[in-house]
Amino acid sequence: MAHRLPAAAALLAAVALASAGAAAGDAGRGAALAEARGCGGCHGPQGVSAMENIPSLAGHPDEFIALQLILFREGLRDVPPMTQLAQGLTDQEVEDLAAFYAGLPAGHVERPPRDPARYQAGAVLAERLRCGACHLADFRGRAQMPRLTGQREDYLAHALAEYRDGTRRGTDTNMNAVMFGVTDAEIAALAHFMAQQ
Amino acid sequence: MHRRLLALGFAATLALPVLAQQAPVPAWQQSRSGSTNASPLAPHPPKLTATAAEQVPVAALRVPAGFKVELWASGAPGARMMTESPNGTVFVGTRTIGRVYAISEEGGQRRVRTIASRLTDPNGVALRDGNLYVIAINRVLRFDGIEGRLDAPGTPTDLTAAFGLPTETHHGWKFAAFGPDGRLYMNIGVPCNICEFNRDTHALIVSFNPDDSGRRIEAKGIRNSVGFDWHPTTRELWATNNGRDWAGNDTPDDTLHRIRQSGADQGFPYCAANWRDPAISRGPASCSEFSAPAALLGPHTAALGMRFYTGTAFPEAYRNQIFIARRGSWNREQLSGYDVVVARLDANGTVTGVEPFMTGLRDEAKNRFLGRPVDVLVRGDGSLLVSDEQNGAIYRITHGN
Repeated sequence: MAHRLPAAAALLAAVALASAGAAAGDAGRGAALAEARGCGGCHGPQGVSAMENIPSLAGHPDEFIALQLILFREGLRDVPPMTQLAQGLTDQEVEDLAAFYAGLPAGHVERPPRDPARYQAGAVLAERLRCGACHLADFRGRAQMPRLTGQREDYLAHALAEYRDGTRRGTDTNMNAVMFGVTDAEIAALAHFMAQQ
Repeated sequence: MHRRLLALGFAATLALPVLAQQAPVPAWQQSRSGSTNASPLAPHPPKLTATAAEQVPVAALRVPAGFKVELWASGAPGARMMTESPNGTVFVGTRTIGRVYAISEEGGQRRVRTIASRLTDPNGVALRDGNLYVIAINRVLRFDGIEGRLDAPGTPTDLTAAFGLPTETHHGWKFAAFGPDGRLYMNIGVPCNICEFNRDTHALIVSFNPDDSGRRIEAKGIRNSVGFDWHPTTRELWATNNGRDWAGNDTPDDTLHRIRQSGADQGFPYCAANWRDPAISRGPASCSEFSAPAALLGPHTAALGMRFYTGTAFPEAYRNQIFIARRGSWNREQLSGYDVVVARLDANGTVTGVEPFMTGLRDEAKNRFLGRPVDVLVRGDGSLLVSDEQNGAIYRITHGN
């Protein structure tokens, strides 16, 4: 397998260039808008959340942020209060916010200490579910697929359960299929493993 | 590694009537095996923000000599399937963004209105007697007298329960159109990449009476047809079809089908593009008992919207020929498609060739794309519209002047 990796990496670089219409967001305008709208009150001033079950936004792919904001705005992802807060955002504002958060360094305010048994179980699950195929081997995400490293453990567990239970979908239904039949204990292990990366 | 390959092979071989949401592997990844296991290929992300008119890549578009292509409308993110009213209003369905647009001409400009939203993949739009049918995944809505109510379409009549469509989301988005027989036709895709399933409920084109009764199977064994039309003189149904993924860069081709008898079997999951798919061990040993495709449309090109050219504004050589939008590949290392082609038919309805018509959205050297054509529509004035989902734009192709 290892001998295939360079070719795969080269192809990945090519594919990364494939999508049209790279976000035309302005990070400076996005920062001002995030300040004006008080996004940092929950998500942290630098996009690193200190609040339980509130996701960190720093370092996600800009496409992921933009697409999620639009799903909120269009009422297709119905999560109070974000559905309301996203009302009235223009496409340009969405892309500005995406550029701002994509440019911030990912990290943790604090995270639970590593539990070796859960970490190991999570590592095995991440391999079995092939998370790295889309989110990349180091789980930094790409395009419409979010960064997993640097995310809060409690939020990861929350989001994974939502995908499993069909209460959330992305821009497609792939995560619902990935999470089918995954137990609560497995979700906890997976979230722990990812948050420790 | 070996164990994983075996497990995948096992799953692919046994693949019982397992539906997408019951499978531990996302539908788009199903049946990856061998060299494709390490592939980083994945579906391209949609773009749901509006692309400003000056950023729509219309300058990159190429059409044959004598034709002209221009930007007709923009600011309609996710624009896909189109239908035109007698007044010239174009109704446009979408997938991810959940909207239906109405685009009308006002003082030489196009005005884009969102007339429905918060729907799950409302891809199918069809007009009958002034009423707009919107087919979302497992939702069928009818907006009565839509032309006079563009600013306030009101609450639609909900026909969902009456139609009773399958609920699977994967390949659950619909292309819809009224046939020359007055019936409402739509596709029901297969909820997997490649699997065995109930061949009377999925991988079909079906038709209904407009009042939702009398469901009839029009084509069988057609994996996912997101575009069809009727020959202007013979009235035969012709349809595009998307071939499966993960069988290699060049296997199988997407296909064009001529449905000679209502209900004719096109062969999926056993056969695709005259190729006996080894992933399905049961079933006939060869493809001879199925209808052969009328034309091959290239591997993984995502051949979607298609229409016969019925206008008189283009040269005579285009009369009753088929324009086909190819949205473009994701499951292929070198991108393919991202264009509009024309299938040439002789007097017997035999396809004699498939030629490029609108190109320029695929950058071969850099292996990237600039836009994704999803549907074509012949307008009342004989011009051809092409929707570009990635840019939320619609192009207009005319001849002469």
